[in-house]
Amino acid sequence: MQFPFRLAMRHLMARKARNGLTVLAISIAVFLLCFLIAVVQGMEEGIRSASSHRLVTQSAVSLFVDLPTSYQQKIDTIDGVHLTTKFRWFGAYYQERKNFFAQFAVDHPRFLDMYTKDIEIIEAVGGTTGPAARAAVQKAFSSDRRAAIIGVGLRDGERFGFQLGDTVPLIPSIYPRADGNAWEFVIVGIYRPLKARIPDTTMYIRADYINEAFDSGEALGSRGAGVYYVNTEESVPIDQVAKDIDALFANGPQRTQTITEAAFASFFVSAIGNLPLFLGTIGGAVLFSIFFSVVNTMMISGRQRLQESGILQALGFRPIVSTMLLIWEGLLISLLGGGIGILLALATEGSLIRIFAQNIQNYQISVPLMLLALGISALLGIVAGLAAGIPFLRSSPTDALRSSG
Amino acid sequence: MPDKFITLNNVSKSYTRGGETLKVLDQLQLSIARGDFVALMGPSGSGKTTILNLVGGLDSCDSGSVHVADSEVSAMSRSELPAWRSRHVGFVFQSFNLLPVLTALENVMLPLQLTPLSAAERKKQAAFALDIVGLSDRASHRPTQLSGGQEQRVAIARAIATDPAVIIADEPTGDLDRSSADEVLQILSRLNSELDKTILMVTHDLVAAKKAKRLLELDKGLLVEDQQQEA
Ligand SMILES: Nc1ncnc2c1ncn2[C@@H]1O[C@H](COP(=O)(O)OP(=O)(O)OP(=O)(O)O)[C@@H](O)[C@H]1O
Ligand SMILES: [Mg+2]
Repeated sequence: MQFPFRLAMRHLMARKARNGLTVLAISIAVFLLCFLIAVVQGMEEGIRSASSHRLVTQSAVSLFVDLPTSYQQKIDTIDGVHLTTKFRWFGAYYQERKNFFAQFAVDHPRFLDMYTKDIEIIEAVGGTTGPAARAAVQKAFSSDRRAAIIGVGLRDGERFGFQLGDTVPLIPSIYPRADGNAWEFVIVGIYRPLKARIPDTTMYIRADYINEAFDSGEALGSRGAGVYYVNTEESVPIDQVAKDIDALFANGPQRTQTITEAAFASFFVSAIGNLPLFLGTIGGAVLFSIFFSVVNTMMISGRQRLQESGILQALGFRPIVSTMLLIWEGLLISLLGGGIGILLALATEGSLIRIFAQNIQNYQISVPLMLLALGISALLGIVAGLAAGIPFLRSSPTDALRSSG
Repeated sequence: MPDKFITLNNVSKSYTRGGETLKVLDQLQLSIARGDFVALMGPSGSGKTTILNLVGGLDSCDSGSVHVADSEVSAMSRSELPAWRSRHVGFVFQSFNLLPVLTALENVMLPLQLTPLSAAERKKQAAFALDIVGLSDRASHRPTQLSGGQEQRVAIARAIATDPAVIIADEPTGDLDRSSADEVLQILSRLNSELDKTILMVTHDLVAAKKAKRLLELDKGLLVEDQQQEA
């Protein structure tokens, strides 16, 4: 073995502070890289998993304006519409505000039939599991107006732990009750998402319960649908159905904007503030500057080590050995930094998934992503080592020896 | 000369810097016998280091030839020279040139990396070389923890680690006080007499020059003095 590995190690150890800072900088950059890519991939995955036979009809004014419940019957009559359901944001929380999860008020007779490919019902109240569970949940959902279907995350999550049959009090933040109490819902079914875009921490409740509560004065709010989810027939082009729906309400009372579920999902992505672009720009700039600081650090080492190259050549080593030494050192530094960055990304994966639960369903530090990060780290080390070590190849041993260390 | 171990035949060397050509060696003729200890003296800029660099294969001449042992060094390509150096010459420099990040023992082991020896054998041989220069007890010291004289002795151990036939020393005592210099010179004499190393040493120090068997004086690239000395 002609390569002085020990010399490389000794050089690395001799500059612990400088190399440690470089490792730290690279680990932060690589963590950021993993984070950004996982965020963007998670968002894209959500959009990709949207149904190609589903439309979302919303108010043309704003997503936050409820559509009237009277629209549903009219939409149902349009050619190509298979099933529709109201889909209204309820916005309550469990015990504390930080225990927030999404609740949507839907039409209980239709919702499960519309979501056959989106969620799998894994257990019904009473203990029914397997293929029979869906029908059992449908029955229970219909028989109690306070009934709710929840994702497995709300059953298994430490902060929730909701069990089938539990009565769960939710504190309103949008629709207060007249008596000042919490809303109560009874868990009748548990689902597991089949699509990346659907979190496992959503609760589906009955729209009729909410609307009737508003009508009777039991709660403060006005009857509405939120938006409509529309499943379309395959025989009719989906764009045509969307056009027909919007045409129907072109003259009011509220104009609508009907878009595909994919477009709706990507709207949510852009609604959280063009985050990918913003983070991408900042992250890119950080990566870029860290990249150059690493190259610069290595180049300083390189200049300081021209004399060493001369000494090594006098001892009989080829000039390329000095170049390889710097590449090897660069590689060790960058792989160590990259490794730490990846570990950091893995360690924070769980909590980031929880934090992103409502917005990005598929935040994941996947194996290909880790390999990519490792590859980029390796490339960084090699390029930095090369930039610092190439001059050795051109210098003559006598010139190198004459340089001061 | 009984046998010609090192030969410079009609060697010319000039440097060009900033458009000006400086002729350092002009048709130099020199041969050195195996096992000789040669001191090379002369004023600054007379071409002493240049001669060492040519003999050690660190630099190439413009014309003429350089032979060391059975090899024509001047005919070797840049890619052949490193391996040849590693087997045939050991260098000792004025400023020691130890690698500061390595211990004394590791510095001495470094050239052995180029040999087929196992790690254990390398360590053993390096320890032996350190023993020859009397520094076994300093094996794990870094150069900064050693005196100048000790550093130079480690450098000598490094130069002989691969057991080369030739030792090239450029002002090895130039940076040392008298007593350290004397120690170093004594080691070089012993390497010459006991281990039969052929030594070519540049020096400005008359005391050092006296230790050699043969004294050469160079002036403006020409040999102006060549005398055998009594031990
Ligand atoms: N790489 C080089 N480029 C240009 N000129 C050089 C180079 N190396 C040596 N010289 C010149 O060649 C001449 C001889 O240099 P050399 O180093 O052989 O002298 P020296 O006898 O060793 O001197 P000193 O006693 O100062 O070490 C000097 O004038 C020096 O400036
Ligand atoms: Mg000189």
